[in-house]
Amino acid sequence: MAESTKPILEISELWVTFPAYGAEAIHALKGIDLRIDQGEFVGLVGESGSGKTTLARAVMGLVPPPGRVERGRVLFNGRDLSRLDDDARRAVLGRELAMVIANPRAELNPVIPVGRQISNVAYYHLGMGRAETDRLALNMLRAVGIPDPERRFNAYPHDLSGGMAQRVAIAMALICSPKLVISDDATSGLDVTVQAQVLDLLQRMVGEKGAAALFITRDIAITAHFCSRIAIIYAGEIVELAETAAFFERPAHPHSIMLLAAFSHSPALRARWTRVLSEGETATTGGCTFAPRCVRRQNRCVVEAPTLRHLTGGSWVRCHFPVESDTA
Amino acid sequence: MLLRYIARRILYVIPQLFGIILVSFLLVKLIPGDPAVMMLGPTASEQSLAALRDKMGYSKPLWQQFTYYIGAVVHGDLGSSWQTTRPVTEDLFQRFPATLELVTFGLLAAIAIGFPLGVAAARLQSGPVRKFAGYYGLLAGAMPDFWLALVLIYIFYTRLGWSAPPLGRIDMAVELPKTVTGSLVIDSLIVGDIDALSSSFRHLVLPVLTLGIVNAGPILKMTQTTVTRAFSSEFVRYAEMCGLPRRVVLRQAVRVALPAVVTIISVLYGFLIGGAVLVEIVFSWGGAGQYAVQGVLNADVNPVLGFVVFSAVLSLIIYLAVDLIYFALDPRTRG
Amino acid sequence: MSALLEVQNLVKLFPVSGSRKVVQAVNGVDFTINRGETLALVGESGSGKTTVGRAVVGLIEATAGEIWFDGKRMGRGRNIRSSDVRGRIQLVFQEPAESLDPRIRVGETLGEPLRYLGLSRADRDARVRDVVSRLGLADRVVDQFPLELSAGQQQRVGIGRAIVTKPELIVLDEPTSALDPTARAEIVDLLIRLQRDLGTAYLFISHDLSTVRFLSHRVAVFYLGMILEEAESEELFARPLHPYSASLLASVLLPDPKLKQAKPMMLEGEIPSPIDLPSGCPLAGRCPFADAQCHLALPPATAVGVTHYVRCYHHDRVAALDKTVDHFARLQADMNKLLSAGAS
Repeated sequence: MAESTKPILEISELWVTFPAYGAEAIHALKGIDLRIDQGEFVGLVGESGSGKTTLARAVMGLVPPPGRVERGRVLFNGRDLSRLDDDARRAVLGRELAMVIANPRAELNPVIPVGRQISNVAYYHLGMGRAETDRLALNMLRAVGIPDPERRFNAYPHDLSGGMAQRVAIAMALICSPKLVISDDATSGLDVTVQAQVLDLLQRMVGEKGAAALFITRDIAITAHFCSRIAIIYAGEIVELAETAAFFERPAHPHSIMLLAAFSHSPALRARWTRVLSEGETATTGGCTFAPRCVRRQNRCVVEAPTLRHLTGGSWVRCHFPVESDTA
Repeated sequence: MLLRYIARRILYVIPQLFGIILVSFLLVKLIPGDPAVMMLGPTASEQSLAALRDKMGYSKPLWQQFTYYIGAVVHGDLGSSWQTTRPVTEDLFQRFPATLELVTFGLLAAIAIGFPLGVAAARLQSGPVRKFAGYYGLLAGAMPDFWLALVLIYIFYTRLGWSAPPLGRIDMAVELPKTVTGSLVIDSLIVGDIDALSSSFRHLVLPVLTLGIVNAGPILKMTQTTVTRAFSSEFVRYAEMCGLPRRVVLRQAVRVALPAVVTIISVLYGFLIGGAVLVEIVFSWGGAGQYAVQGVLNADVNPVLGFVVFSAVLSLIIYLAVDLIYFALDPRTRG
Repeated sequence: MSALLEVQNLVKLFPVSGSRKVVQAVNGVDFTINRGETLALVGESGSGKTTVGRAVVGLIEATAGEIWFDGKRMGRGRNIRSSDVRGRIQLVFQEPAESLDPRIRVGETLGEPLRYLGLSRADRDARVRDVVSRLGLADRVVDQFPLELSAGQQQRVGIGRAIVTKPELIVLDEPTSALDPTARAEIVDLLIRLQRDLGTAYLFISHDLSTVRFLSHRVAVFYLGMILEEAESEELFARPLHPYSASLLASVLLPDPKLKQAKPMMLEGEIPSPIDLPSGCPLAGRCPFADAQCHLALPPATAVGVTHYVRCYHHDRVAALDKTVDHFARLQADMNKLLSAGAS
């Protein structure tokens, strides 16, 4: 068994549930299967509430209680993080598996200088002395393109602009050279030009270290340019999984097409792919979760939930009637 | 820029003091009791009463009395107490160190008890420590300090004989150490006087314990609240995601929770300067609070007002110091 | 026909507390909006576009310059609260959840602006029902509270509250930034439909360039409080003439891997602080074409084509860059093809 072919992340049949008082439990994730190979860039796209962030947390073993992993496994580099004890998990997070967060100015510690925060990550993981980790942190500041890094080392998060804070977050994520970097909506809220710079930076630095990346986002356009594979998530399920080029050429799942249609300037064409939910309509148990909003639904969809299956083009789709290139 | 800030704050003390003295003056005038009657006794004649009132200036209109008083204060003259027959300033300088020693050590004890318990209560979800901290927070607020003082005296002095008698700050037989800071314990330490140190320490234990136990309550509750909140904030979640060790995350969270705790400590400090009077009385401490209460009971205006001035100045200085500590703790406040 | 809104040489300075410096938020902005048309103000944070929007509505007082609404001058006591202007200019905010009072039912929120126009209860209710149906919401929404609605629906209510007084001009300040892409598209559809039915003009402030291209007739590009380029929407996206516009457009990511922007024009660094702006062109510090002249004097607004203005000494060099492909148009063409197939 060649080491290089072992995936860095392997999610199998993952179910995450949040109990609700006096009501049925909410299944945030319903049987997620996802594999990321070493050095691969994968995009995960979904609307708010689709379960993207829960998936990120589950991968790190940090599902907030009372939520819990009900079934399934998350193997990171062969180890199940959710079954590790607290200390063992802390040794992995930030070192081999790192997350670049969405709103760094709110999530960085407000009373510690940013350089010291970057240095802390290295200090507690790499077993080096303070002076050395400080030097490493300074180099990272330079590498992520922060001007005047010596002075900025002592700056506080609220002193920095959104773009610079995001670069600091990237520095913190990459300083221990992790094998997998998860970006959780890391560029939402940034200006367009800053977003472009930050994404380029992330792509370059992660690629240089041969690490893999999982780009979680609401904005499907980002994945078109930075990912080799795309997964679309809806209501806790992966509904489509495909190579990027193939996906944008021939999206198969109606939800995927709906997401792309948002960029169209033709209301008529968009309306073709959007079904307005009628009063009180929700997914029937046993049927496809997307059926209420699906323009292609048939009787079979309401009764029988589709499974992920392989299409001739190479994509995986969870749909009874996916759009295939020749079928109408 | 920092110096300018400090200078500005010190300058603000003047109008603040003026306001405090004005309000206190008016309130003090409302104290029931005729000072002339108090001084001359109930059998004095109406004539002599009137003459005394005239002499003390009480027959003049209020605003005139006030102006006269302010003028005197500016010169450092707080009038005299007719009870002690000495200038108030002298009396206060003699008594304030006692109060400060008691209150400072008492507050330190309260912090030592309340803060760790508060952190533990915030971190532990269940268990005996958490339960204990919960009850303690409730009871401490309900406990009268003089009652606790009497209980402690009964246990530790009357029954066990461990502590010194509740009669002042030091055994009467022991010679006082040279005055450096005004605190007997510290001065004995500095001078190296073992006898004085041992005696003053033994006298200090019970009153400090009393104040400590009672005032640890609010510190505990505040610490518990802010540390709990700090732990559910986003930066703690992020620190966990970076895999920082548990104790480091705890330290960081506590650090961010500190400013609120510092605030409540400073408020307590300002309050205790006058609020420790009951403990002072029970232990015959000879402090300034006791002095001021005597003034109220005797309708002796000058000690009361003098005490107000002193403690107001002290409080304002404490608040300034706390604000500076805030700046050091939380860079967001530096603007 | 006179323009509906005319802004001339608008300047807004904010004092910085604790010092004598000022934040030069808006530095001499001119533009016009005609009835029933949409002008978009695009730019990044710190560009001053939000401040301009607030000044037009009268939420803040301009430091200098003039704003003319329907031929009459605004300011000096004449603002959106004046009786002859009331209800004719409205504002839609960015965060729908924050701009709706969570304790008041939707119906009441929608009817509130009408109370100050003196309509009777019956008239108000009728208007509210009319607005709700225009918004594409169910009737029962009137009795619901804002938090019971999705973000997209909340923003519709925000728009509804703006149109209920039948305004002639609506200022929309980043109305779609907080929404998912699908909700965003629905809101844009709604805005277009409303403009067609009611003839309202829009001042659309946004950094979402894709939406801007779709929704606007004209676009003005803002940087550090100044308009650097202004043109008709399609013209600007196809042929940007200012280095900043070109760079901005090149940064937009479109959902098509083949349309990777060639990036002939990327600016270094980040937008500088609007305190103590140097003289000359505000972009001079970051622009690859900048020379001594650019640092010295602000370029005047030059007319290039009938309705295309640009403030740059070197716009011909930008035009000469190989950017003959309008990626946005290409995307639409591909989209049309993709979406036409396959629906049942």
